[in-house]
Amino acid sequence: MRQLLRIFRLIWSAAPGAMARGALLSVAVLLSGAALLGLSGWFITATGAAGLAAAGFTFNVFGPSAGVRAFALGRTAARYGERLLTHDATLRALARMRIDLMRRESRAPLDRLLRLRGATALNRMTADVDALDGVALRLVLPLAAGLITHLVAFAALSWLVDETVALWVTLGYLLGGALVLSGVARAGFGPSIRAERGAQALRRAVIDMGRARTDLIVFGRMEAQRDTVLAADADTRAALFALDRAERRSGLALSAIAALIAGGALMIGGALVARAEIAPAAAALGFFTALALAETLFGLRRGMAELGRMRDAAGRVLDGPGPAPTVATKEATAPTAPVVLAVGDLSYRREGAARAVLRGLTFEVAPGETLAVAGPSGVGKSTLLFLCAGLMRPESGSITLAGRALAEWNEPALRARLTLVPQRAALVAGTIRENLALATGALDDAAAWAALQAVALDAVVAARGGLEARLDEGGAGLSGGETRRLVLARALLRRPEVLLLDEPTEGLDPETAAVVLRGLRAALPRAAILAASHRAAELAWADRVITLG
Amino acid sequence: MRRPSTSRTADPAVAAPAARRRDPLAEIEAPARRAQAQAEMLAVLGGLIWPLQAALVAWAISGWLHHAPLAHTLWAGGGFALLGILRAGLDDLGGALLFRAADAVLAEQRARLVARESLRPPGGTGPSSAELGAIVAQKLPLLVPHLTRYRPARLRVMVLPLIFIALTAWISWAAALVLIVAGPLIPIFMALIGMAAKEASARQMAEIGDMSALLMDRLSALVDIRLLDATERSAADFAARAEGLRARTMAVLRIAFLSSTVLELFSALGVAMVAVYVGFTLLHQLHFGAWGGLTAGEGIFLLMLAPEYFQPLRDLAAAWHDKAAAEAVAEELAALPDEAAPVLGQGGPATPLPGALQLTLRGASVRRGGRLVTLPAFDLAPGEALALTGPSGAGKSTTLAAIAGLARIEAGGCLEVSGQPLTDANADAWRARLAWVGQAPHFLDRPLARNLDLRDTGADPAPALAAARAEDVVAALPDGLQARLGETGGGISGGEARRLMLARALMAAPDLLLADEPTADLDAETAEAVIAGLLTLKARGAALIVATHDPRLIAAMDRAVALEAPQ
Repeated sequence: MRQLLRIFRLIWSAAPGAMARGALLSVAVLLSGAALLGLSGWFITATGAAGLAAAGFTFNVFGPSAGVRAFALGRTAARYGERLLTHDATLRALARMRIDLMRRESRAPLDRLLRLRGATALNRMTADVDALDGVALRLVLPLAAGLITHLVAFAALSWLVDETVALWVTLGYLLGGALVLSGVARAGFGPSIRAERGAQALRRAVIDMGRARTDLIVFGRMEAQRDTVLAADADTRAALFALDRAERRSGLALSAIAALIAGGALMIGGALVARAEIAPAAAALGFFTALALAETLFGLRRGMAELGRMRDAAGRVLDGPGPAPTVATKEATAPTAPVVLAVGDLSYRREGAARAVLRGLTFEVAPGETLAVAGPSGVGKSTLLFLCAGLMRPESGSITLAGRALAEWNEPALRARLTLVPQRAALVAGTIRENLALATGALDDAAAWAALQAVALDAVVAARGGLEARLDEGGAGLSGGETRRLVLARALLRRPEVLLLDEPTEGLDPETAAVVLRGLRAALPRAAILAASHRAAELAWADRVITLG
Repeated sequence: MRRPSTSRTADPAVAAPAARRRDPLAEIEAPARRAQAQAEMLAVLGGLIWPLQAALVAWAISGWLHHAPLAHTLWAGGGFALLGILRAGLDDLGGALLFRAADAVLAEQRARLVARESLRPPGGTGPSSAELGAIVAQKLPLLVPHLTRYRPARLRVMVLPLIFIALTAWISWAAALVLIVAGPLIPIFMALIGMAAKEASARQMAEIGDMSALLMDRLSALVDIRLLDATERSAADFAARAEGLRARTMAVLRIAFLSSTVLELFSALGVAMVAVYVGFTLLHQLHFGAWGGLTAGEGIFLLMLAPEYFQPLRDLAAAWHDKAAAEAVAEELAALPDEAAPVLGQGGPATPLPGALQLTLRGASVRRGGRLVTLPAFDLAPGEALALTGPSGAGKSTTLAAIAGLARIEAGGCLEVSGQPLTDANADAWRARLAWVGQAPHFLDRPLARNLDLRDTGADPAPALAAARAEDVVAALPDGLQARLGETGGGISGGEARRLMLARALMAAPDLLLADEPTADLDAETAEAVIAGLLTLKARGAALIVATHDPRLIAAMDRAVALEAPQ
């Protein structure tokens, strides 16, 4: 439950003023509801009694009737205000939570980034965060408001009616409510977790089905994947059914408790009237208040039934990657030394692996120089580039940029000077302009076209309708070679002083590859370029080649 | 090959308006009608118990004023409680019926959508996988509250208030008048608010889908975003989306709150006016409206009826937004593009098509969007290795798709496999003899071993891994064959992913391997290894068709078919 409390604090702190006002109003709603019905019952019975006694002309009717109208209007207004305030505050808090998760996710260590299954992270940011909307709205606030209302009602009933009636009503609702609500929390705990996890499994299975559609069909596994999807659907629905049953049963129990308490209040009131201890109107006040107080419990049912789902989701949301490990320690005053990338005695070993991937590697790349790293696949070329880009930490040895160790650069300063185009660079859905704009906040058309021209993509983009041409999910819609050239153009827009390229012209025919490589160098004449490569065109383009493995 | 005679209309522009004219929500909920009718009866029955409870209370309180014996009150109190329990029981019963029916509707809609989307051809239009995930897991369940709440609420509104007005009028026409005036104003407000609610719900739905799609996309590109120092820009994009979702949700809620406030206002004022009217009448300060005066008991009875008169209207109002949400979902479902003919067959396991492997492609073309892609003409003999070459966009991938039965060729074209035209009936059996290496590797959310053995044969993957030279890839993974990789092979390089995909194809021991650019992303040495792997397969008697522009691969094939650039 500590996690739910943490979430509640997060939600509350997003707009504490609005939440506090909303909480006060929700108490006002419950109290005025009870007062409205209680006062009306009292009023009618009292006037009935006065009418019988022919004392009608001495009865003050204006106080009570004004009270009835005031409670009626006040309750309505309080309800509207309460809902608006608490919902808006909650939604603001959820939006903030989503953005925070996204930030934390994108600053996670490279290993986690590479292995991230988008669908899982997506679930965390949408479904899990959505599940938390009830923590304040359906759990903590109504619980607190209900308790306060019952305490106030107890005081009012003991003062206006009788201690026995007050005790019966308050104890009845508190004990009965605690019994039923803890029951529904228990009965709903498992199913609500299963329903939520099932829905997330369902979503993952559907996304798998969509993304691997061709493979699944050709290998005859689409039927099985459909079965997986439908099994997740069946699990989810079975859990929802159990949850609905728990909720319905608790509704039944709460209605029964309310009927018993109101009926009991009627009987106790009748007994007291028969003994002439209280007036009939006071007894009626007790009965109608008891009837109206049932409202305090019904609002809590849903929140209690979903306790498991909320706690489970809270665990996942709070459990995401921690706050970003800052690459930077010192605030950088930009070094003025020429931007040389220097690697000294560098070694790297994968976690748990016996053999080091890189051993005692030393080289330098000067401004305007192109160095190619050759070697068979799996020899560690990509790892070397990730190390040089500061996304991985070397086991031993040094990597310096402009004479300063990589670890001492802060992230924005490092990224401003150094760009890596990984082997499997990704595009995003959206226009070509939006894809290019990932590289720079302010993208002007001239720069965009110049970058496209450098990678011989300008004609292709023009033929597709220019910068506003749309790409699908993951940048689908371009061929492999076109995708490659677009991510190169995107990297050029960063105007880096050090450009790291992993197999830059893969998927391009040799003529285009040569044009693109010349274009890259022409676009960044002073950049130090380090390319992991095996193609003849790329090796010929480089000033120097070192071979790994 | 012919298009199958389905009810699909060839021209989507003709089919779409006809589909939209029908009420999509009514069609979806048709199977739940029976259960709804039964639950509606139970709900009305439950509603009719309240006047009895009210009468008992009125009887008891009036007894207090007339010094009736205590037993009087005890009977009334006990009766009130018992009837209350009975009423709750009826509600429970009706709720169970409705939930079951709604559950069946949800199951059916999901099954239908999954069946259709699973067989969408590559290149066909439709929701992205993230959007589809949102529809199936997040939006379709929004139908349930509508089915369980709106319908029964509507019948209760049509029956119960009339009965309550009749009962009220029987005692006091003036009190009935208060209810009559306050009641019908409600539907007018509801209609106005309902229209706004539907629009707001539709916008909220769209925002949910957009946000999912944006997130999924950005999450897949997190490394790039980090390298481009676009974390903050990307977070700002996302913040705008998240804020947009909040604003849209708030717009829906504001309408919901406003409408329930209007209702609550009328209801509260109605109750207050009845209470005040009754009070004044009992004090003999008002002398109209009741048939010869009121008793306190009658007054209590009126007071208790008044809130319940409004309750069905309030239930309906609460459910109105469920209806608006459900309508928005139904319309989104109806608007999903449905025009693309599905792939041939069901994508299930099948006994391999008998006969020698033979392929004839002649005069065939495939419609891609508005464009007609002409396929090359060639024959493929058993064990033959063929390279499809040509510039990007010439139709290499489309040709492979057509051969695999993933794209339907236009009428008049000829695509024969093992001597018979490729049809829906034999497509699965034909594909049982194929394997596929696509351009974009995708790893399913299951261990690597089961990603490699996609056909679940239980065979040892070692030989195939060796042939694809991918053993060291597996050896370097922390959990080996039990590793779960990122969707597009995160954790390994592109070349490694490609080798695993090749191993998967080799494991399937196909008679024909279709490969789309199998040597892209590979260094020269590994590319040679892949070519060797392909030739191993050929040596075992399998035929190959590879789309490629890698000269080494083209040279390794028996012959090449060149495709021409589109005009």
